Formats: sequence, structure tokens, C-alpha cells
Amino acid sequence: MKSSNGKKILYILVEKKVKPARFIEIYRTNYGDINKTLDYFYKYKSLKLEYKTNGEDHIDFNHSNSCYQKVVDFILKNEVGLLDIGENSYPDILRQIYLPPPLLFFRGNKIKKAQFSIAIVGSRKCTAYGREVAGYISRNLSKIGITVVSGLAVGIDSYAHKAALEGKGGSIGVLGCGIDIIYPPENKYLYEEILSNGSIITEFLPETPPLKNNFPVRNRIISGLCRGVVVIEAGEKSGAIITCEMALQQNREVFAIPGNVFNPMSRGCHKLIKSGAKLVESIDDILEEFSQYSGGILKLCGNSSYNNNRQANDKRGANLDNNELKVYEFIGYNPKSVEEIVKYSKIEVKEVLRILTSLEIKQLIKEDSFNKYSSLF
Amino acid sequence: MLFKLDSFTLIGIDAIKVSVEVHISRGLPEFIIVGLPGKAVNESRQRVRSAIINSGFDFPVKKIIVNLSPADIKKDGSYYDLPIALSILAASGQIRCGMFNESCFIGELSLDGSINPVKGLISMAEKAQSMDKKFFFVPYEIANQASFISSISIVACKSLVETVKVLTGGEQIEKFICKDKEKNISNRNNHYNFDLKDVKGQLKAKRALEIAVSGRHNIMLIGPPGSGKTMLAQRAVSIMPDLNLEECIEVTKIYSLYEKYANHLIQERPFRNPHHTISRVGLIGGGINPRPGEISLAHRGLLFLDEFSQFPKNFIEDLRQPLENKAVIITRNHLSYSFPCNFMLIVATNPCYCGYFGDEGRRCICSLREVRKFWKKISGPIIDRIDMRVTVARLKESSFIKTECGESSNQIKNRIKKCINMQNERFKGKNVSYNSEIGINIINEWLKNNKNIRDLIYTISRKYNLTARGMVSILKVSRTIADLEESENIKDCHIIEAVHYRVGSNNLDNSICI
Repeated sequence: MKSSNGKKILYILVEKKVKPARFIEIYRTNYGDINKTLDYFYKYKSLKLEYKTNGEDHIDFNHSNSCYQKVVDFILKNEVGLLDIGENSYPDILRQIYLPPPLLFFRGNKIKKAQFSIAIVGSRKCTAYGREVAGYISRNLSKIGITVVSGLAVGIDSYAHKAALEGKGGSIGVLGCGIDIIYPPENKYLYEEILSNGSIITEFLPETPPLKNNFPVRNRIISGLCRGVVVIEAGEKSGAIITCEMALQQNREVFAIPGNVFNPMSRGCHKLIKSGAKLVESIDDILEEFSQYSGGILKLCGNSSYNNNRQANDKRGANLDNNELKVYEFIGYNPKSVEEIVKYSKIEVKEVLRILTSLEIKQLIKEDSFNKYSSLF
Repeated sequence: MLFKLDSFTLIGIDAIKVSVEVHISRGLPEFIIVGLPGKAVNESRQRVRSAIINSGFDFPVKKIIVNLSPADIKKDGSYYDLPIALSILAASGQIRCGMFNESCFIGELSLDGSINPVKGLISMAEKAQSMDKKFFFVPYEIANQASFISSISIVACKSLVETVKVLTGGEQIEKFICKDKEKNISNRNNHYNFDLKDVKGQLKAKRALEIAVSGRHNIMLIGPPGSGKTMLAQRAVSIMPDLNLEECIEVTKIYSLYEKYANHLIQERPFRNPHHTISRVGLIGGGINPRPGEISLAHRGLLFLDEFSQFPKNFIEDLRQPLENKAVIITRNHLSYSFPCNFMLIVATNPCYCGYFGDEGRRCICSLREVRKFWKKISGPIIDRIDMRVTVARLKESSFIKTECGESSNQIKNRIKKCINMQNERFKGKNVSYNSEIGINIINEWLKNNKNIRDLIYTISRKYNLTARGMVSILKVSRTIADLEESENIKDCHIIEAVHYRVGSNNLDNSICI
């Protein structure tokens, strides 16, 4: 029954060339009764709508050369699921947005089970700092059962996905192309990994290429699926900022991670913070906002906070020998070059290089830009 | 009326013996050269004739046939003027001398009878030595170069008349023997225009260069424009130990093919810096008459490929076999030519198209896709043969103004010498001379005998996601670091430092491949 509804919608959208916005409009005028909606569309034999919807026509299936039967074959063959708007397991929160996708293609079952999701978005070209933060926030969210939603792009997205897969929360990746297309190609393995503890969804028909226009469309689903959006490292004009605008329209919370004031990649986040986004240092800052949703999973969890991490690291710091400690303390949060370290510590170059590597292995510092190191915690 | 004497021709950089045979017989006056002579050899008839006449001898008005044997090898060049002229004089009975059997001759004649220099002299001198000849008559101007071949007397004559006088005993032969060798090789005054102390900052890169040169590891310098990659590479040659006589001769053999008038032994380490528009033949060697390319000209020295990413991909792939075999074999027509190319490779590249990826001050404007494309072009098997990858950061204004300078090249060179000696001792009798050439069998032995190393390598490869080849590189480099400290065994700290030169560009790698 469920899947047949999905196929019906697919038929209406693909063969009858009904635009999704139109579909949603009729769905809403029928007060969310999917059967009535379907009946409405089936009455018209060949529906060539000259009708102008007042919704935004984000998606135009007409451009796709794929026909209904081809898509159905593809779905059966590749174990791709269809999730239609009428189904119970369709995320409620997504159904409420201005233009929810009538039909989602998905792989992996997380999408049906996810109770509470947070989106993590950010630049594709992130710094070492962004990488660490993405992993840190995402890992901790997932640990307490929050699903992390992101866009399966490189950079922040992929780090967020990866870290989230470690916990029970899992991860959902929203594509801006057909489900059979892996874009960008280097995420091939990540794609497989996500299926183990999450799902990959898209509203685009199979074989849809990753066109530029698709991504803002996809972004509304990312924010739509989540209660809040965390932005890590975004340029002034970037996809992440678009996602935030969508999130605000959809009445979602926007969180931003502060960054280095000298780094252009912090501009976007700082701008968000200035205009009212919440500054996030640890996931407690995120959870605080959702204290009313006491679904059992959202208790403040002190053990993942920044302070504790730092304490843990201070303990790790105790293992360092004198020279290591000297270098570690000198490095601090502002990137220091090898030359500066040598000059300050008066230790031989080769010794400094050794110390730097061993500190890196102990995960206390990271290489920021070429030959510049800064403290991780 | 038949006369024979020995001369040489070049195949690649190696000389082979050529007998110049002259037969003067009755018949219509004629002068023919046979034995696959090239254009220059055929023209030598005119030079020889004029030179003989202008030197005051008679040119026989008879049928003269010159044969250059072996007759099936193509001969080109102006090497045979002097031997042909002497043979004609001897065959026509104008000179008599007992020295012909123990001598060999080479030289181009001018119309007035003076002797001009030729190419590849040192290879011929070497060949003459192996033939147990006593005297080798060479053009005066370039005699110095050949005089380093030990057990043969190099006779340097300025003209045909002088040669004849020496041969017939009109002059003391000792007067003409070139004896510069002792003086020249001991009095080494190598100086390079560059010194490593000119480079400010870049401590990591300098240290990396020291290690690279010590173990002859190939090295890649990655950095934004203006960070000093080229400057560092140019100075790497100044910290390489001096060439010994044997190596000097090897290098001179190659260079004497190009610098025809080079009258000295090349004693400086070659530093070759070909531009990326170079042709394939120019880089590897070849041509119709195969000549050594840049990789052979860098033999015993440094090949520096600046803007590595700009070199065509297939050229880079061409380097694989020479890097492995230390020689390049080129087959043209029915001959194979082997040119040695035992060089150290330094490559320098920007991290991306705009050049500022990973730079602190300036923002990279490449999309990630472009950065990836950039690296895709140069990654691959050749990168695997580069043990060390070092990032070079731009200097801050403040450190540029500071006048303090680091160690001079000579200081570093002394340390490197010691390190190389240690390696030579260890590898005595084996097929290896530097740490970079260590085979997997030796590395397995280290791993088997040392649990510490095993554990550490395991941790490191987990942390940095290293490939097997990466780990092998790290072990080789750490052996060199241990040698620099004159340590018998590889210690943990050596490995940890070596990691730095492999994954120093970790920041970059990570951002590129997720």
C-alpha cells in the first residue's frame, strides 16, 4: 500500500508532469489527505497544466529524460526506497515546511527512524580548525542519539558525516542529484559508510546531474529535516548561509561556531552571530535551546563539554617531557611557525620537528597552514 | 704502401676503436674514404689535403683509399683528420716511426695544419688506456681534460708539423706530455655561487635538504610562490660532497659531448634545472644520433624540476625507469646506447593553480575541484619514488629583515660527508650505496628484529593513514637521520622525525582527499 502510493505520486510527477509545488498545493487544500490528492490528479487524463502555481517551482521534472517505467525499474533493481509525503514515517518536521518534497528517494532506513536531527553545514574548503570542530560537535551529538544531517559534500560535510557514524545517532546525507550519482566522486566510500548507520536521501529523480541550481533546493531539505542548523566555517556568500536563510524561514534554530577573526572562512559564521545566531562552543549550547523537547535524549550531557575535554587533555599533557611541554605551552591557540618555536625554545630544529610530530600523534596540536601549528584544545 | 693506425669513434658516450687504414696505389689520382663515413668525415679529404700541403709535405698524386674499420658502424665528426693525414704521410713514406703501434690519434685539422679540438675526448682516452696504448695524441687545447686518465701519456700537439716532429724524434716527446693531473685534482677550489646560509628561516626545509642529500632521497618541495623553493634547491648542490676523480671522469665524459671546447675536468656537482617546455628527447636523451638528455647531464648531481606540475605527464612517467636503474638505455637503428643517470631528484611545486593553498596570509582562490585536479596531474607512481615531501611556507616580513643567518653550506657538507661514509661502510659489498636504495628485504629485517619500531610504525600509519610505500619511505629516511647522528640503530625519535617529511603535507593531503 505504502509503496504503491509512492509509485502513484511518481507517476503523477513524471508522466503527468505535475510540478511538485502544484502537488503540494492540492495536498494542502485536501488537508493532507493523500488519497484525495491522488484522486484529484487521476481525474485528469492528460494534465497539461497551463496553471501557474503561486508556489516556487524549484523542481522541474520535465528536464529529466527519464520516464516513469524507467525510474520504477531502477528503484526495484537498486533497492532504493520511496518515501511519500502521505506516509507515517515521512518526517513530520519536514512535512511542515513551505514546500516539502512530495516524494523522497532514499537508501538506508535512518530517515524513517530519526527522532531528532541537527544539521551541520559549512565550507567545502575548510581549515584544520573547521575539520576538528565538525568532528567534535558531530561526534558528541551522535553519541547522545541525535542524527546529524548534512549535504555529503567534501569539507565540513564529510567530516560531520564521518564523525556522526561513530555514534548511535547516525547520519543522513541529502543529495543535490539523483540517488545513483555519487557527487563529489571522492565521497564514494563515505557514501557506502553512511548506509551502515544512516541514510542517503534525495528528491531528485535518478540520473539527475548535480546541477548548480539543485543545491539551494537541496538545502531546504537539510534545514527542513532538522530542528537546528549548525554552521561551521562559511564564507560570506556560501551554500551554508543559504541553508541558514532557509532554516530561518522554516523557523529553525541557527547556531554558529566562532572562528579566527583573521580567517575569511569565519566571516559567514561571525555575521550570523552578529545577527543573532547562537554562538556554540560545545553541544550543550545546542541542547540548551531544545530543553522543551524532553524526549529523553536531550539532557544536558556534561561529559562531552569543552571543559572536560580540556581537562582530559591537561591530563594527557602530564605525560609530556620537559621540552614537549615547553613547546606545547608556547604554541597556544595562535598558529606558530617552526622558526618561531625554534627561536623561542632554543631547541634544535630536528628536536623541534620531532616534538611537533609526537604532539601531533598525541592529538594535542595540528598543522594549521604550512609549517604553522596551533593547539587543538 | 699500406698503413694502419688506431683512432676512435663515439657510440653514445662510449668510445670504440676505429682503425684508420690507408692504401696508396698506382692509378688515376683519387682520394676515397670508405667505411660508412658521414658528411663531416667525407669532407675531411679536403682538409687533410690542404693541411698536408700547407705543412710542407707532399700530397701523393696517386690513388688513395682510406678505410675506417669496423666498416659497418656509421662514423661522423671530424675525429679522423689527424689520423688520416698521418697515415697518408706514413704510407707514402714521408715519415717513419716506431711509435705508431703504441699510440693512437685524434684531432681535427685546420687547412693550415693546426689541430682543432673535438668532442668526447675523455671517453677516448679511457678507451685508449684499456687498449694498453702508451701515447694518445690529442688536440692541445683540450688535452687537460684527458690528462686525468692515469696510465696513459697524453701528447698535446698544436699542429700536424709538431706531431710529425714528435713522432720522428725531432722533438722530445716529454715536452709535449700533459702533466696537469696532480696539480689540478688536489687543488680543488669548488665554489658554487650559492650558499645555504643565504636562506633565511625555512629551518624545516633546510634540515630536510640535509637529510635528503645525506641519504640521496628524492625530495619534493611544496609551497606558495615566493616561499623559496627554487632558492633552496639551487643551494642543495652546495652541500653535496665533492666528486671524487672517478665521478669527475664520468661526468666529464657526458659533458664533453656537449661542450666541445671544455678543456678541463668537471669537478663541480652538476645542477640541472630544465624548463618545463623541454622536449622529451631533451629530458631523457635520444635523437637520431642519440645524445644524453638532462637526466644524464645531472649524473652524479642534482636534477631540479621546478614547477613540476607543469611538466607534461608522460615526461614525468618517463623518469620512472631511469630513477630505478640509474641509467637510461636508448635504442635507435640497430644500436643501443646506455647513458648513466644517477642523479638526485628535487622537484618543486605550488600546492594548487593559484599557488596559495595552505598559505597563511593569502587566500587560495581555487575551487577544491581544481586543487584536486592539480594534484591528480602529478600524483602517481613517480610521487611514490619521492621519499620526502616538505612544505615550505612563505617568510614573514619581519623575519626577512633579520640578518641572522644559519649554518653555511660547508658546515653542513662536513656532516653529510660523515653520514655518507657511514652508509658506504654499511653497504660495502652490497649492491646499494645510499639509504634511499635500500630494498624491502633489509627493511623487513629491521622490522623483525625490533618490536619498538613495529609498534611505532603501526601507530603512525593508523594516525596518518599511510600506505605501505609511505611506511617504507619513512623507514629509509629514519635510517638516514640515525646515520646523521651516528647512531647504530634506528630509534623512535628518528622515525618520528621522518614522519614529518612524509606527512608534513598532511594538512594538504587531508583537505584534498576528504
